[in-house]
Amino acid sequence: MKKLLQKELKLSASVLSYLFIAFGLMAFIPGYPILVGSFFVCLGMFQSFQCTREANDITYTALLPVAKSDVVRAKYAFCIFIELCYFVLTAAVTLIRMVFLSDAAVYRQNALMNANFTYLAFVLVILGLFNIIFVGGFFKTAYKFGKPFVMFIVAAFLVVGLGETLFHIPGLSAQNAFGFTHMGLQAGMLAAGIALYVAMTVVSQNRSVRNFEKIDL
Amino acid sequence: MTLCDIRGLSKTYPEFKLDNLSFTLSAGRITGFIGRNGAGKTTTIKSILGLVHPDCGEISYFGLPFGKNEQAIKQRIGYSTGAVNYYPKKKIKDIVAVTKTFYDTWDEAAYQEYLELFSLNENKMPCELSEGMKVKFNLLLALSHKAEILILDEPTSGLDPFSRDELLDLFTELKNRGVAILFSTHITSDLEKCADDILYIKNGRLVASCSKDEFGAQYGEAGETLEETILRMERSKDV
Repeated sequence: MKKLLQKELKLSASVLSYLFIAFGLMAFIPGYPILVGSFFVCLGMFQSFQCTREANDITYTALLPVAKSDVVRAKYAFCIFIELCYFVLTAAVTLIRMVFLSDAAVYRQNALMNANFTYLAFVLVILGLFNIIFVGGFFKTAYKFGKPFVMFIVAAFLVVGLGETLFHIPGLSAQNAFGFTHMGLQAGMLAAGIALYVAMTVVSQNRSVRNFEKIDL
Repeated sequence: MTLCDIRGLSKTYPEFKLDNLSFTLSAGRITGFIGRNGAGKTTTIKSILGLVHPDCGEISYFGLPFGKNEQAIKQRIGYSTGAVNYYPKKKIKDIVAVTKTFYDTWDEAAYQEYLELFSLNENKMPCELSEGMKVKFNLLLALSHKAEILILDEPTSGLDPFSRDELLDLFTELKNRGVAILFSTHITSDLEKCADDILYIKNGRLVASCSKDEFGAQYGEAGETLEETILRMERSKDV
């Protein structure tokens, strides 16, 4: 799998997949729906799938002396790698805001979502949705990616909308906590986000392996 | 020595059927796989490479069933096609650097030898290569991991006569080194020059599987070339 991941990183990936990791820094922007950055990193990964198709990467990989299931696992490994890079970056920004900038007026007067553990949970949900809707959809054919990506866009922006409205509902304002207040709730949200990301990714990968075995290339 | 044995290969699509194909590939022989466009050559090749799932049939290489030994078998076979362009915007040296890590038998000296023989520039990208050079690049990858079987899907289609002739000489040289070659084409004159055996496929059905001499004796008429025989058989409704 290490060799296949290296192949993904060196041959298959679009440079945009790497550059768009920097959208994790968007969590610094005040007065901006910061969850949108999670969509942009997925857009970067989508570019790599375009490169995959244009370069006949799936067939090339399937002809290498590797198990067919590893062709699929390599794509998931690539996505997980990019997603983790993005998550680490945006989590670092979030922690900086929580530790050093929780009282900054520019963030306190922000009507939109605050960068906290709940934000990170929503980030993980969007990344998990990319894996289950887009990557899973792509491996139904190993060729068509338009419809899965449109479906992902709709789902991702519904989650962005949910994240931006949830804390406005009476009784749920603690979702938008500043600093390390309401840590029980915040940590619970993050744990749920992690669980959902792992579940969506594992389910999607297993389903894609099964689908890919049936595909004629 | 038989290196590849295909028995009863069938695959049904809504508008096409590959019907019960059986043939073998032997060491040191070039097997010409001939048939018109759409006859089933590429489907057959994709099936024996595991890219397409046959409905039934047994595929074995080196005496080993393909399904259970896919990775080990792929270490020992090479595939090249003139039609597909892999990683067109990556430098050859970058593609090679990644590809060679997958092969236990990668021979760097052989790679350098073929690189020179084919006059390939490692710093070029596949999109910058002519059609003939693209085929040579695919062959370079196959030969550098010492493939014992070469499966070539229309490698000479679209090439000028000089490039075709160069490749045919190379195939003959490889045959003499003991490599088994399956050479799919619809250009019969290529097979006149280098094939030892003929597989002739028509509408998904293998019409002939024999040596070139036997093919001429069984299906040819006096003074006919291989091309004329095939053309006559293609036009005939009885075949």
